[in-house]
Amino acid sequence: MNAIDNKQLLQRIFEGLANRDGTLLVESMADDVCWRVIGTTNWSGNFSGKVAVMRELLAPLRQNLVQRSRTVAQRFLADGDFVVVEARGDNETRRALPYNNTYCFVFRLSGGKIREIIEYCDTDLIARVLDNRGGAVAAAG
Amino acid sequence: MGAVENRMLIERLFASAAAGDRKPFADHLADDVVMRVTGQYSWSQTFRGKETLLRDLYGYLGTLLADGRKTIPHRFIAEGDHVVMEAVGDMRTKAGVPYNNEYCLIYRLKDGKIVEIREYCDSTLTEAVLGPYRGPAAPAR
Repeated sequence: MNAIDNKQLLQRIFEGLANRDGTLLVESMADDVCWRVIGTTNWSGNFSGKVAVMRELLAPLRQNLVQRSRTVAQRFLADGDFVVVEARGDNETRRALPYNNTYCFVFRLSGGKIREIIEYCDTDLIARVLDNRGGAVAAAG
Repeated sequence: MGAVENRMLIERLFASAAAGDRKPFADHLADDVVMRVTGQYSWSQTFRGKETLLRDLYGYLGTLLADGRKTIPHRFIAEGDHVVMEAVGDMRTKAGVPYNNEYCLIYRLKDGKIVEIREYCDSTLTEAVLGPYRGPAAPAR
Protein backbone atom coordinates (compact mmCIF):
# COMPACT_ATOMS: atom_id res chain seq x y z
CA MET A 1 0.00 0.00 0.00
CA ASN A 2 1.23 3.49 -0.74
CA ALA A 3 0.77 6.77 1.13
CA ILE A 4 -2.63 7.39 -0.45
CA ASP A 5 -3.93 3.95 0.55
CA ASN A 6 -2.53 4.36 4.07
CA LYS A 7 -4.15 7.77 4.42
CA GLN A 8 -7.50 6.45 3.17
CA LEU A 9 -7.37 3.62 5.70
CA LEU A 10 -6.75 6.09 8.54
CA GLN A 11 -9.55 8.31 7.25
CA ARG A 12 -11.94 5.35 7.40
CA ILE A 13 -10.67 4.41 10.87
CA PHE A 14 -11.31 7.93 12.14
CA GLU A 15 -14.76 8.04 10.57
CA GLY A 16 -15.48 5.22 12.97
CA LEU A 17 -13.75 6.88 15.93
CA ALA A 18 -15.79 10.05 15.40
CA ASN A 19 -18.85 7.83 15.95
CA ARG A 20 -17.41 6.00 18.98
CA ASP A 21 -16.66 2.95 16.85
CA GLY A 22 -13.13 1.61 17.14
CA THR A 23 -13.80 -1.64 15.26
CA LEU A 24 -11.71 -0.79 12.20
CA LEU A 25 -8.88 0.58 14.35
CA VAL A 26 -8.65 -2.69 16.23
CA GLU A 27 -9.00 -4.78 13.07
CA SER A 28 -6.23 -2.79 11.39
CA MET A 29 -3.68 -3.15 14.15
CA ALA A 30 -1.05 -5.82 13.53
CA ASP A 31 -0.80 -8.47 16.25
CA ASP A 32 2.63 -7.10 17.15
CA VAL A 33 1.63 -3.45 17.04
CA CYS A 34 3.47 -1.13 19.40
CA TRP A 35 1.53 1.86 20.79
CA ARG A 36 3.57 4.44 22.63
CA VAL A 37 2.05 7.21 24.73
CA ILE A 38 4.65 9.93 25.29
CA GLY A 39 5.71 11.25 28.64
CA THR A 40 6.02 9.87 32.13
CA THR A 41 2.42 9.80 33.34
CA ASN A 42 0.79 6.65 34.64
CA TRP A 43 -0.68 6.27 31.13
CA SER A 44 2.65 6.78 29.34
CA GLY A 45 4.80 4.01 27.97
CA ASN A 46 5.10 1.36 25.32
CA PHE A 47 2.23 -1.07 24.91
CA SER A 48 3.58 -3.95 22.86
CA GLY A 49 1.21 -6.30 21.05
CA LYS A 50 -2.46 -5.94 20.25
CA VAL A 51 -3.50 -7.87 23.34
CA ALA A 52 -1.56 -5.53 25.63
CA VAL A 53 -2.89 -2.47 23.81
CA MET A 54 -6.46 -3.68 24.30
CA ARG A 55 -6.07 -4.83 27.89
CA GLU A 56 -3.65 -2.27 29.33
CA LEU A 57 -4.50 0.89 27.41
CA LEU A 58 -7.87 0.87 25.66
CA ALA A 59 -9.84 -1.06 28.30
CA PRO A 60 -8.69 1.20 31.18
CA LEU A 61 -9.52 4.25 29.08
CA ARG A 62 -13.01 2.86 28.46
CA GLN A 63 -13.33 2.33 32.23
CA ASN A 64 -12.68 6.04 32.77
CA LEU A 65 -15.28 7.29 30.32
CA VAL A 66 -19.06 7.48 30.40
CA GLN A 67 -19.32 6.30 26.80
CA ARG A 68 -16.99 4.71 24.30
CA SER A 69 -14.36 7.26 23.37
CA ARG A 70 -14.96 9.74 20.56
CA THR A 71 -12.00 11.17 18.68
CA VAL A 72 -12.47 13.59 15.83
CA ALA A 73 -9.71 13.94 13.24
CA GLN A 74 -8.79 17.38 12.02
CA ARG A 75 -5.93 16.72 9.60
CA PHE A 76 -4.27 13.78 7.85
CA LEU A 77 -0.74 13.95 6.47
CA ALA A 78 0.78 10.95 4.69
CA ASP A 79 4.33 10.26 3.58
CA GLY A 80 5.45 6.76 2.62
CA ASP A 81 4.70 4.32 5.44
CA PHE A 82 3.62 7.10 7.83
CA VAL A 83 0.32 8.84 8.41
CA VAL A 84 0.04 11.68 10.91
CA VAL A 85 -3.40 12.43 12.31
CA GLU A 86 -4.17 15.51 14.38
CA ALA A 87 -7.34 14.98 16.35
CA ARG A 88 -9.44 16.15 19.26
CA GLY A 89 -11.15 14.01 21.85
CA ASP A 90 -14.75 14.67 22.81
CA ASN A 91 -15.35 12.71 25.98
CA GLU A 92 -16.65 12.83 29.52
CA THR A 93 -15.24 10.90 32.44
CA ARG A 94 -17.27 8.94 34.94
CA ARG A 95 -16.41 11.71 37.40
CA ALA A 96 -18.28 14.08 35.01
CA LEU A 97 -15.14 15.88 33.87
CA PRO A 98 -14.68 16.84 30.23
CA TYR A 99 -11.81 14.93 28.67
CA ASN A 100 -11.13 16.60 25.36
CA ASN A 101 -7.49 15.93 24.72
CA THR A 102 -5.56 17.18 21.70
CA TYR A 103 -3.72 14.45 19.84
CA CYS A 104 -1.09 14.07 17.22
CA PHE A 105 -0.88 10.40 16.29
CA VAL A 106 1.97 9.11 14.15
CA PHE A 107 1.01 5.81 12.52
CA ARG A 108 3.47 3.53 10.74
CA LEU A 109 1.90 1.00 8.42
CA SER A 110 3.00 -1.86 6.26
CA GLY A 111 0.98 -4.36 4.28
CA GLY A 112 -2.22 -2.53 5.16
CA LYS A 113 -1.70 -3.01 8.91
CA ILE A 114 -0.77 -0.54 11.63
CA ARG A 115 2.61 -1.54 13.04
CA GLU A 116 3.35 1.40 15.30
CA ILE A 117 1.45 4.25 16.90
CA ILE A 118 3.04 7.16 18.70
CA GLU A 119 0.56 9.24 20.63
CA TYR A 120 1.51 12.83 21.39
CA CYS A 121 -1.08 14.45 23.63
CA ASP A 122 -1.57 16.80 26.56
CA THR A 123 -0.19 14.55 29.29
CA ASP A 124 -0.95 17.16 31.94
CA LEU A 125 -4.64 16.81 31.08
CA ILE A 126 -4.37 13.03 31.41
CA ALA A 127 -2.81 13.39 34.85
CA ARG A 128 -5.48 15.85 35.98
CA VAL A 129 -8.57 14.18 34.57
CA LEU A 130 -8.10 10.43 34.19
CA ASP A 131 -7.88 8.01 37.08
CA ASN A 132 -4.67 6.18 37.67
CA ARG A 133 -4.35 3.58 34.88
CA GLY A 134 -3.30 0.81 37.25
CA GLY A 135 -6.42 1.46 39.31
CA ALA A 136 -8.56 1.33 36.23
CA VAL A 137 -6.94 -1.97 35.18
CA ALA A 138 -7.61 -3.41 38.63
CA ALA A 139 -11.22 -2.22 38.56
CA ALA A 140 -11.70 -3.71 35.08
CA GLY A 141 -10.16 -6.99 36.13
CA MET B 1 7.85 24.63 -3.02
CA GLY B 2 6.89 20.99 -2.77
CA ALA B 3 6.97 18.59 0.15
CA VAL B 4 10.55 17.53 -0.55
CA GLU B 5 11.85 21.09 -0.65
CA ASN B 6 9.88 22.01 2.48
CA ARG B 7 11.24 19.01 4.33
CA MET B 8 14.81 19.81 3.27
CA LEU B 9 14.37 23.38 4.45
CA ILE B 10 13.17 22.33 7.93
CA GLU B 11 15.99 19.77 8.15
CA ARG B 12 18.49 22.48 7.28
CA LEU B 13 17.06 24.98 9.78
CA PHE B 14 17.30 22.49 12.64
CA ALA B 15 20.77 21.34 11.63
CA SER B 16 21.86 24.97 11.92
CA ALA B 17 20.11 25.39 15.25
CA ALA B 18 21.75 22.20 16.57
CA ALA B 19 25.09 23.69 15.58
CA GLY B 20 24.26 26.76 17.63
CA ASP B 21 22.95 29.07 14.93
CA ARG B 22 19.26 29.90 15.40
CA LYS B 23 19.27 32.76 12.95
CA PRO B 24 18.27 30.72 9.86
CA PHE B 25 15.19 29.45 11.72
CA ALA B 26 14.18 32.96 12.76
CA ASP B 27 14.88 34.25 9.24
CA HIS B 28 12.42 31.72 7.82
CA LEU B 29 9.53 32.65 10.08
CA ALA B 30 6.91 34.62 8.16
CA ASP B 31 6.11 37.99 9.70
CA ASP B 32 2.56 36.79 10.34
CA VAL B 33 3.49 33.30 11.58
CA VAL B 34 1.08 31.76 14.09
CA MET B 35 2.31 29.22 16.62
CA ARG B 36 -0.04 27.25 18.77
CA VAL B 37 1.13 25.22 21.73
CA THR B 38 -1.66 22.65 21.81
CA GLY B 39 -3.43 21.38 24.92
CA GLN B 40 -5.03 22.87 27.99
CA TYR B 41 -2.03 23.59 30.21
CA SER B 42 -0.56 26.95 31.09
CA TRP B 43 1.73 27.05 28.07
CA SER B 44 -1.13 26.36 25.66
CA GLN B 45 -1.04 29.76 24.05
CA THR B 46 -1.31 31.06 20.52
CA PHE B 47 1.58 33.31 19.56
CA ARG B 48 0.67 35.55 16.65
CA GLY B 49 3.38 37.19 14.58
CA LYS B 50 7.12 36.66 14.38
CA GLU B 51 7.97 39.38 16.86
CA THR B 52 5.53 38.03 19.43
CA LEU B 53 6.71 34.45 18.95
CA LEU B 54 10.39 35.33 19.28
CA ARG B 55 9.78 37.49 22.33
CA ASP B 56 6.95 35.79 24.22
CA LEU B 57 7.84 32.14 23.66
CA TYR B 58 11.44 31.68 22.54
CA GLY B 59 12.62 34.79 24.42
CA TYR B 60 10.84 33.68 27.57
CA LEU B 61 12.30 30.18 27.24
CA GLY B 62 15.72 31.83 27.00
CA THR B 63 15.19 33.31 30.47
CA LEU B 64 14.53 29.82 31.90
CA LEU B 65 16.96 27.59 30.00
CA ALA B 66 20.73 27.47 29.94
CA ASP B 67 22.54 28.49 26.77
CA GLY B 68 23.12 25.76 24.21
CA ARG B 69 19.62 24.28 24.23
CA LYS B 70 18.98 21.95 21.32
CA THR B 71 16.02 20.31 19.65
CA ILE B 72 17.18 17.13 17.94
CA PRO B 73 14.91 15.79 15.18
CA HIS B 74 14.59 12.06 14.67
CA ARG B 75 11.93 11.88 11.97
CA PHE B 76 10.44 14.09 9.27
CA ILE B 77 7.14 13.40 7.55
CA ALA B 78 6.10 15.75 4.77
CA GLU B 79 3.03 16.19 2.60
CA GLY B 80 2.25 19.23 0.51
CA ASP B 81 2.69 22.42 2.55
CA HIS B 82 3.22 20.54 5.84
CA VAL B 83 6.31 19.10 7.47
CA VAL B 84 5.97 17.05 10.64
CA MET B 85 9.08 16.83 12.80
CA GLU B 86 9.42 14.46 15.73
CA ALA B 87 12.21 15.53 18.03
CA VAL B 88 13.66 15.36 21.51
CA GLY B 89 14.94 18.29 23.47
CA ASP B 90 18.44 18.39 24.90
CA MET B 91 18.19 21.20 27.41
CA ARG B 92 18.83 22.23 30.99
CA THR B 93 17.30 24.93 33.09
CA LYS B 94 19.54 27.67 34.38
CA ALA B 95 19.49 25.78 37.69
CA GLY B 96 20.86 22.71 35.88
CA VAL B 97 17.72 20.56 35.80
CA PRO B 98 17.52 18.41 32.63
CA TYR B 99 14.64 19.31 30.34
CA ASN B 100 14.48 16.71 27.58
CA ASN B 101 10.95 16.91 26.25
CA GLU B 102 9.46 14.88 23.39
CA TYR B 103 8.04 16.97 20.58
CA CYS B 104 5.88 16.58 17.55
CA LEU B 105 6.04 19.86 15.68
CA ILE B 106 3.95 20.53 12.61
CA TYR B 107 5.11 23.26 10.28
CA ARG B 108 3.05 24.74 7.47
CA LEU B 109 5.08 26.53 4.87
CA LYS B 110 4.30 28.96 2.11
CA ASP B 111 6.84 30.22 -0.41
CA GLY B 112 9.76 29.05 1.68
CA LYS B 113 8.55 30.64 4.91
CA ILE B 114 7.03 29.06 8.02
CA VAL B 115 3.51 30.45 8.37
CA GLU B 116 2.08 28.13 11.04
CA ILE B 117 3.48 25.90 13.83
CA ARG B 118 1.63 23.51 16.08
CA GLU B 119 3.49 21.95 18.98
CA TYR B 120 2.60 18.75 20.82
CA CYS B 121 4.80 17.73 23.74
CA ASP B 122 4.85 16.18 27.21
CA SER B 123 3.03 18.96 29.04
CA THR B 124 3.46 17.29 32.44
CA LEU B 125 7.22 17.65 32.04
CA THR B 126 6.89 21.24 30.89
CA GLU B 127 4.83 22.21 33.92
CA ALA B 128 7.05 20.23 36.31
CA VAL B 129 10.40 21.54 35.10
CA LEU B 130 9.66 24.96 33.63
CA GLY B 131 6.71 25.80 35.84
CA PRO B 132 3.57 27.57 34.67
CA TYR B 133 3.89 29.87 31.70
CA ARG B 134 4.54 33.38 32.97
CA GLY B 135 5.59 34.97 29.71
CA PRO B 136 4.20 38.23 28.46
CA ALA B 137 1.68 36.69 26.06
CA ALA B 138 -1.96 37.35 26.76
CA PRO B 139 -3.40 34.77 29.13
CA ALA B 140 -6.25 33.83 26.78
CA ARG B 141 -5.84 30.28 25.48
